Amino acid sequence: MSKIGLIIGREYSTRVKKKAFIVLTILVPILIVGLMFLAMWLGMEEKKHVEVLVADPRNLCEGTIFIGVDEKNAPATFSFYNDYIDSAAFASREEFQIYDVLITLNPTIVTNKTITGVYREEPSAEAKDYIQDKLELTLEEYFAEAKGLSIAEYREVRQRMKFILKSFSDTEQQDVRDKAQAIGLVFSIFIFIFILVYAAQVMRGVIEEKTSRVVEIIVSSVKPMELMMGKIIAVGLVGLTQFFIWIVLIFILMIGVQTFIFTDIMSPDNWQGINDGVAIGEISTGMETAEMQNQWAIVFFDYVNWPTLIIMFLLYFIGGYLLYGSLFAMIGSAVDSETDTQQLMMPVMMPLMFTYIVSVMIQGNADGATAMWLSQIPFSSPIIMLQRIAAGTVGIWEVVLSLSILTATFIMTTYLAGKIYRVGILMYGKKSTWRELFKWMRQA
Amino acid sequence: MLRVEHIVKQYAGHTALDDISISTKKGEIFGLLGPNGAGKTSLIRIINQITGPDSGKVFIEGREINRNDISQIGYLPEERGLYKKMKVREQSLYFARLKGLSKADAKKKLEYWFEKFEITSWYDKKVEELSKGMAQKIQFIITVLHEPKLLILDEPFSGFDPINTDLMRKEILQLKKNGTSIMLSTHNMTSVEEICDSIALIDKAKLILNGTLKEVKEQFRSHTYAVQYKGMSFGFANALWADYSLVHSEQLDEQRAIAHVKLLKGNTLNNLLNAVMPAVDIESVNEVLPTMNDIFIRAVNGEKGGENE
Repeated sequence: MSKIGLIIGREYSTRVKKKAFIVLTILVPILIVGLMFLAMWLGMEEKKHVEVLVADPRNLCEGTIFIGVDEKNAPATFSFYNDYIDSAAFASREEFQIYDVLITLNPTIVTNKTITGVYREEPSAEAKDYIQDKLELTLEEYFAEAKGLSIAEYREVRQRMKFILKSFSDTEQQDVRDKAQAIGLVFSIFIFIFILVYAAQVMRGVIEEKTSRVVEIIVSSVKPMELMMGKIIAVGLVGLTQFFIWIVLIFILMIGVQTFIFTDIMSPDNWQGINDGVAIGEISTGMETAEMQNQWAIVFFDYVNWPTLIIMFLLYFIGGYLLYGSLFAMIGSAVDSETDTQQLMMPVMMPLMFTYIVSVMIQGNADGATAMWLSQIPFSSPIIMLQRIAAGTVGIWEVVLSLSILTATFIMTTYLAGKIYRVGILMYGKKSTWRELFKWMRQA
Repeated sequence: MLRVEHIVKQYAGHTALDDISISTKKGEIFGLLGPNGAGKTSLIRIINQITGPDSGKVFIEGREINRNDISQIGYLPEERGLYKKMKVREQSLYFARLKGLSKADAKKKLEYWFEKFEITSWYDKKVEELSKGMAQKIQFIITVLHEPKLLILDEPFSGFDPINTDLMRKEILQLKKNGTSIMLSTHNMTSVEEICDSIALIDKAKLILNGTLKEVKEQFRSHTYAVQYKGMSFGFANALWADYSLVHSEQLDEQRAIAHVKLLKGNTLNNLLNAVMPAVDIESVNEVLPTMNDIFIRAVNGEKGGENE
């Protein structure tokens, strides 16, 4: 085995054997799947069917409520009682226990236009809207009839308008793209966190070798560049290992939970819950139409090209990680302890943080000039480009160009970092500045 | 064995090595001496190919050194350290394999050394659980495990108690006996006198002394003799006249004394003996050679050898 192979082997095996690694690798998928199912379960709970008892002493509704044909999954059903029920009786009497909500249609309703009711357990917003909607419609029909309109006539007038407001420049496609870009944002955040966590691990590893003085023995056997590359590659492999274990575990857990606990959670009837879950962050008024929720499903299952997105995620993670990892290794080599890194970290952290913030700001604007430029600049492209790839608005040549620039840049930073690294690791007891680092670069 | 020719190394702002040329013979212990910051570590790092010289060349066994020679060199740096969280066996094998040993080979050699030092019980200990002296022993084993032809030891005795220092010295002498060439950098002048065959003294980036221990001492001899005699000390002093100078005198008992006498004006020992023999009974005469400690201080303070005071 070559020497760099030995180094990778050591760095990799000590890292994956660490308790923190094992715990995190197992815990994160459990947490993710747990939270996902918790969200779904809560969504199902919220959709509990509501039994409404309408106390209608004057028989205004004549014992029926108009229900549309397309409402198989109505969140509430109505029953009628042609007398007053006081709330104490509703609370205690056994015959009323099957009802969740008591609505009283007082005769004064004709003048004060107020419907009152009590509930045992607060119904979901969706159920409340539904109950109000249906009662209003029925009563309006009653009033219309009283004024001499036929129900048929009234219904014709009353029919709800559809209100569609769309962007001037584009059509529905834009909506789908924006949603796909939001999925890309999840990947952006993933890459950002991965780069940060693993590049920092490289830095810590370098500092550890330096402070324990073990580095001098190693560089008497291998070239400093081999040591640095070995470490960077090994830590990157640890990251990829963790990523793959997460994907596999999440997949297994999802299937497991679905098969053994929530056998029906994946049925299309419950997709609305999934879609609601994904829509967190969108302005959700509870009045979203089914059409809009379907769009998430379309984006999720049809629009986004998952294999491409995951391959690109890996490529950009590797590129971005090598770029930032080499810079972090360089910083690690120039200091004696982690507390000394602050000043040197600033210029490296800035582009990373900036890109992260921008990646959230360019939501809905995957074609903008900002997104376009930042998806080419190597310090930001790993985070930004994935959104554009997910949105599907990017040409193949743009991806190739961006990856080429990224590759050329990480080769250059690795080379320069290597020069600084070989001087830095043997320099003890000095708090280095960027100026000195550049001096070392020229020297080596 | 090792030949260093005209090495120059400059760092931003100062010269670390200024035209250094030295050579060592196979199977000898070569002492590389010098005050702190003189450039010893820079030279050692160049020989180890950790850094490169600005100019000059390093030859090993007659040919110019290259990356493959690294497996022929064992290096114990002054700033020592091991991976704290790694187990002793794993760690030793790792370093041995970095030097090019196969896994099986490394295992066999590791067993030999651990049994020799009777420390097989440390195999599965983490380095952070070991005392400093214990870690030093592991470090020494790691340095010699791949049986290097050239061993470079930077302050090998620091951090050891007297028992382990003695053990180390014996091991070093044993390695020498087996034909290993050793370059030793140390501030401990006693150990230099005890085990070094040749020395080089570097001060302020320049080589100021070089040669076998005997040659160097010869260079710095001051023609002073210790004369042990029986008789009156003032009689001895009177007999010396102006051709000799009495450096120092020590009374052993009521009748006997040792006097350190320096020969002046080209006088020989015979002249001295002729002068004092009538006054006292001479029991023994030895030449007082300068200690390495004296030589070190005198050389660094700017004195050249070969001058009489």
